[in-house]
Amino acid sequence: MSSKESCRIELRTAIRQLSDRCLYSASKWAAEQLVGIEQDPAKFTPSNTRFQRGSSSIRRRFRTNEITSTPPTGVAYVSTPVMEEDEAIHGDFYLLAKSYFDCREYRRAAHVLRDQTGKKSVFLRCYALYLAGEKRKEEEMIELEGPLGKSDAVNRELVSLERELATLCKNNTIDPFGLYLYGLVLKEKGNENLARKVLVESVNSYPWNWSAWSELQSLCTTVDILNGLNLSNHWMKEFFLASIYQELRMHNESLSKYENLQGMFTFSNYIQAQIAKARYSLREFEQVEVIFEDLLRNDPYRVEDMDTYSNVLYTKECFSALSYLAHRVIMTDKYRPESCCIIGNYYSLKGQHEKSVVYFRRALKLNKNYLSAWTLMGHEYVEMKNTPAAVDAYRRAVDINPRDYRAWYGLGQAYEMMGMPHYALHYFRKSVFFQPIDSRLWIAMAQCYESEQLHMLEEAIKCYKRAANCNDTEAIALHRLAMLHRELDQPEEAAFYYKKDLERMEAEEREGPNLVEALMFLATHYKTQKKFEEAEVYCTRLLDYTGPERETAKSLLRGMRIAQSGFPSMDVEHFHP
Amino acid sequence: MAGVVKAPGAFAITPHKVSVCILVNIYASPSQISVPFPFSSVSQHNRLGLYLLALTKSCDDILEPKLDQLINQLREIGGLLDHWLTDHVTSRLSSLSSPDDLFNFFNELRETLGGPDSGVMEDDQVILDPNSNLGMFLRRCILAFNLLTFEGICHLLTNIGIYCKEAISSCSSYELRRVDDSGNDFESLSEDENMDLNLVFKKINEEMEARKRATEQVSFHLHLPKELSTLVEDIEVSADPKSEHNDKGRESSSYASGELLRDVDPNGGVFLLTNWQIQGYLMEQADAIEKHGSSFTLNAFELTLRQLQKLAPELHRVHFLRYLNNLYHDDYFSALENLHRYFDYSAGTEGFDFVPPAGCNSFGRYEIALLCLGMMHFHFGHPKKALEVLTEAVRVSQQHSNDTCLAYTLAAMCNLLSEIGFSTTSGILGSPFSPMISVGTSLSVQQQLFVLLKGSLKRAESLKLKQLVAANHLAMAKFDLTHVQRPLLSFGPKTSMKLRTCPIIVCKELRSGYHLISEFCCEGSTMTADGAFSTAWLKNLQKPMGSLVLSQDNGSRNNYNPFLFFTQPSSIPGSVMQLVGSSYLHRATAWEIYGSAPLARANALVYATCFADASSSSDAALVHVKLIQHLAVFKGYKEAFAALKTAEEKFLCVSKSRILIMKLQLLHERALHRGHLKLAQQVCDELGVLASSVTAVDMELKTEASLRHARTLLAAKQFSQAAAVAHSLFCMCYKFNLQVESATVLLLLAEIHMKSGNAVVGLPYALASLSYCQTFNLDLLRASATLTLAELWLSLGSNHAKTALTLLHGAFPMILGHGGLELCARAYITEAKCYLSDPSFSVSKNPELVLDPLRQAADELQALEHHELMAEAFYLMAIVFDKLGQPEQREEAACSFKNHVMSLDHPHDVEDPIQSDTLLNA
Repeated sequence: MSSKESCRIELRTAIRQLSDRCLYSASKWAAEQLVGIEQDPAKFTPSNTRFQRGSSSIRRRFRTNEITSTPPTGVAYVSTPVMEEDEAIHGDFYLLAKSYFDCREYRRAAHVLRDQTGKKSVFLRCYALYLAGEKRKEEEMIELEGPLGKSDAVNRELVSLERELATLCKNNTIDPFGLYLYGLVLKEKGNENLARKVLVESVNSYPWNWSAWSELQSLCTTVDILNGLNLSNHWMKEFFLASIYQELRMHNESLSKYENLQGMFTFSNYIQAQIAKARYSLREFEQVEVIFEDLLRNDPYRVEDMDTYSNVLYTKECFSALSYLAHRVIMTDKYRPESCCIIGNYYSLKGQHEKSVVYFRRALKLNKNYLSAWTLMGHEYVEMKNTPAAVDAYRRAVDINPRDYRAWYGLGQAYEMMGMPHYALHYFRKSVFFQPIDSRLWIAMAQCYESEQLHMLEEAIKCYKRAANCNDTEAIALHRLAMLHRELDQPEEAAFYYKKDLERMEAEEREGPNLVEALMFLATHYKTQKKFEEAEVYCTRLLDYTGPERETAKSLLRGMRIAQSGFPSMDVEHFHP
Repeated sequence: MAGVVKAPGAFAITPHKVSVCILVNIYASPSQISVPFPFSSVSQHNRLGLYLLALTKSCDDILEPKLDQLINQLREIGGLLDHWLTDHVTSRLSSLSSPDDLFNFFNELRETLGGPDSGVMEDDQVILDPNSNLGMFLRRCILAFNLLTFEGICHLLTNIGIYCKEAISSCSSYELRRVDDSGNDFESLSEDENMDLNLVFKKINEEMEARKRATEQVSFHLHLPKELSTLVEDIEVSADPKSEHNDKGRESSSYASGELLRDVDPNGGVFLLTNWQIQGYLMEQADAIEKHGSSFTLNAFELTLRQLQKLAPELHRVHFLRYLNNLYHDDYFSALENLHRYFDYSAGTEGFDFVPPAGCNSFGRYEIALLCLGMMHFHFGHPKKALEVLTEAVRVSQQHSNDTCLAYTLAAMCNLLSEIGFSTTSGILGSPFSPMISVGTSLSVQQQLFVLLKGSLKRAESLKLKQLVAANHLAMAKFDLTHVQRPLLSFGPKTSMKLRTCPIIVCKELRSGYHLISEFCCEGSTMTADGAFSTAWLKNLQKPMGSLVLSQDNGSRNNYNPFLFFTQPSSIPGSVMQLVGSSYLHRATAWEIYGSAPLARANALVYATCFADASSSSDAALVHVKLIQHLAVFKGYKEAFAALKTAEEKFLCVSKSRILIMKLQLLHERALHRGHLKLAQQVCDELGVLASSVTAVDMELKTEASLRHARTLLAAKQFSQAAAVAHSLFCMCYKFNLQVESATVLLLLAEIHMKSGNAVVGLPYALASLSYCQTFNLDLLRASATLTLAELWLSLGSNHAKTALTLLHGAFPMILGHGGLELCARAYITEAKCYLSDPSFSVSKNPELVLDPLRQAADELQALEHHELMAEAFYLMAIVFDKLGQPEQREEAACSFKNHVMSLDHPHDVEDPIQSDTLLNA
């Protein structure tokens, strides 16, 4: 990796260039990373570093490994020359156009630049046209809603833009920004292969445009596509890879990439939030909460990614923290899908499901493809016992992203609630297919097989076995396995699982009816097996508990002593009843 | 959004509707004369009215016609008025240049409608009744316009502009349009960047390739290579006007591209027809898919569906059509996926013709999903899974007290149980049946089926589901045909029941199916009938008849009426016709089993002539098979093969069609007769392969294949092997309760033992077969069993010749009346043999008594090319002539004998046209 200083210089130039071309979100992203780079303590006074809130205790607590800022061996990073600025001639028109653009008068901006031929002017004109088309498209989406749903409004500028950009591309008079826009247009037109190619070209020649990277990411839906990309090495590629690994559910890889990046961009809020999201997917809620708390302290008006935080608070049932968060985001920006989602979560936690649905709906109105809102709304409908609505909501989530195992699981659950376990199995199968490491899914499927309507115990056992193999935190699987084997009259297997369950309960220091049950079974089992020593151990342990089991244990012990002391008549009696 | 089903009536105003409104305005202009201004006669006026009616109801596509299409149709309609009408419409449309023009236009329209209180009306004044079809249409348009926001009106205005521009450009020239449309769609086509399009083309090509490959493979299965070249034409199964999409698919990819371009078109000149029309269109397509099965084009229709989904994302019925399409093209995973998707979105409440009962509103009707899923598994040959799902369907419908669904589910289960051989259902049919099968689970599959059938019938009757009742009657008839009714409880006073099937009951059941045709009362929705009528009417505009009308304008009035009459579809919905038709098929089968060849043929012919339009392609193939088999048995192979050729041209020969199976059967029989044992074995093996394909084991075909295997072995004189095969076959039949087949197998066993010289062992088999035949009233089979019995007696020694002859004479009426050529010939020969071996019979006294049957036999066998029997007949003849002392004739007979024996020994010397181009090159 190049040094911090060169990174800083690159980013500074990029920010200027990006905002000059009105690529604001990319320049915002770049600026965030710029500030995220750790300052050289030698050059700055302590008061300066304090701005960078270096004294976070959490940071030290969760820094898993000491990260060196050296790149993986063997990777040579291409140093891309920073672009030269051209055209000072028609600068005045450009300034006017940019002002119009900043006032969101896109068509006017494009009109001002109609005769300009410089690369920068051409880009801004095309970009302004594109945005004008997008704005109109969104308006039309609402206007054109027919009786059978919204018909697909299209950006009417796409055709002419595509033609113009294609010509530019052919004549090789296009700059990386133009390529980015070309890729965007191609993607909207559904020509994904070419779009990918063009975007790769764009990021290879100008890697600091994060918008181009994110477009590229949305076009890489599988690992194979990702591996097929011909990307030159640049530290921006690391960001891209980390982000796409997360999208492709390769959470551990993503996490390690981010942690690597954190070595250089120590104070980047972006990286911090991404790490939190990755850890959330790995279900490490405690750490996620700490990270988000820290993040909010430094960046109190942040709304992005806060829905993940609210999910964590929801799972941990932190009422007041969730309400505090909801209050905060609503003061910051009420009409953000994330804000609505957080409020929905809050009401859901409070058990006010109708209200919660209202807010999820609002979130979906703001962003129709907001995946988690559909799923969460499905959960709410399940709570409200409105299964058809729940099924509908889940199905929409699944159709947006077929890999969303939570929605598949929700669908299965809804059908199981309706007493259609066989039908539900299809959905559970889908869900475990996409997330085979989640024990809860396997347990749900097993319970489906176990239901009295199906009563397919063999299959249930198979599912529980899978569940037990993937770190079943609630320890349901082992107990059920033991019970099922007992039911199927397979005492050996039952004993095996009871023993395992027992070990587990001992390790976690849990007590309860399950423990007594396991002890009881093992005692009787070993007694019938004539393994009196083991049986005795379990019986003695049973004596610690009150209730009828204690008495049974006592009588068992007595019986064994009699048998051991060698009354042959007893044996005879035992064998020839 | 979630859980909310939109009202189906929603209606949006579009440029096309505006032009229809203009036409309505012309049709019913508020004038005082009976025939308003531009029309010259009443019929001309009426014709426009009919046309407008048809326009608002037809459902042949998903999109509204473009202006140029409308103009073309007007040209057909208008006759002399053509120019006036088109000019008026286009000028009126192009005069709409500002939102205010639209406001004024719709205000004008309002005047066309008569008010509800306009009592004072002169007789000859044209006023549109607000409650008439056109009046309703107009009112809906006006309402829709009034509900539009200002933005909506602006959109309408732009769209009208595009609508007119397109028509003008397409009217002038092709090139012009290219430039005019700023070339976007054509260019995007020419550049190979248009991925979506290319993908579709690729898919269509792949489909074609796959079809080719399939047919190539089939060519191994004795398929004529000619099918390769004709495969594109194969798709047109019938000239059905409704299945327009067949034509579309066939019209090469240029059409598909056009359709897709409409899809890509960014200017938004694409509008859906009304919801009602689209639903009608989808229903028609569903019918067409079911009717044509795998010959329906997959990808062309998929394209339409994709477009429809894009334009109307909340129309979930599309997913169901997709499911059907995948189902009939054997794409298991997509079918499953789309089925689930459809029911997830619609909760089973969209698209189905159901009467919403009061309590069901809040809850989805997911039991229908289970029913469909069960039938899907059945279709893909997973009977066990199907049964599991249907069991759940029964439970859920009971839970939600959806009796209709329950009745249908039960019927589906009956179908499943009777179609697919289950040796046991224990563990599958479980607890939910306890209310119905209170006797317990000790019942056999057949008994369970019977109980289910009864229950299903009763339920359907009480719910007044006419079609289901009829279908159940048919199923019952089928059951009665092949099963002896035993009392369910084997104790008590009822044991006096006769253990026989009863043909009268079968007839009664079949007959009660007919009541349907007189009784059905719009059970299916009126939508299809109405819409199909309008569609057919519009379609016929483009037929040559239209030009005929144009050419003789003066007599137009007379021409229109027969024209209308011609297109009038029957008022009976297709499904009812199909049911009634299948009752004829059942009758034909029943008579086949009972052994009345003429009646079987008559019923098959009735079906082929009267129900060919309504039948599905598989049923139509079945009836052809029956007729061809009849030909083969009664007229010999030459005619049968000629008929087969026409049938093959008519039906697409997919790998497992009935036609193919029958062809194999015919080839096998002929090979056996001619003595081509190797060929026979080869054909037999192919049949066996077809019987247990990947999808599921076809029990009927499996029995057939091993029966033929045994026959081949018998012909090859490998008696012990033949007996072993037949024996295991009998065991299988017994296990799966295939009792009719058991009778045949037993008879075969008797024959095997007779031929191997163990007549004594053969006797009990023949007798057992006889008793089976008696039980099931299989008269023809019984006659042939009697014949075998006679042969057995005869081979026991000459002193039994009398017994044999008596037996034979008893069976003669049946054999001669209904038996095929082979059976008759065998009977004649046996008769002659009986006489000859009778010591008390002297040839010289009564030579004709022996010679006559022998000659008859030889004649009949000629058509079958049955060398073995022919040789026997000539041998006997030679002996008779020898005894009579007629050496010349003896030599002649001996010579024929020699010829036949020779050709039996050297089978490949004979030239064989059909065999040479099929099997040998495989």
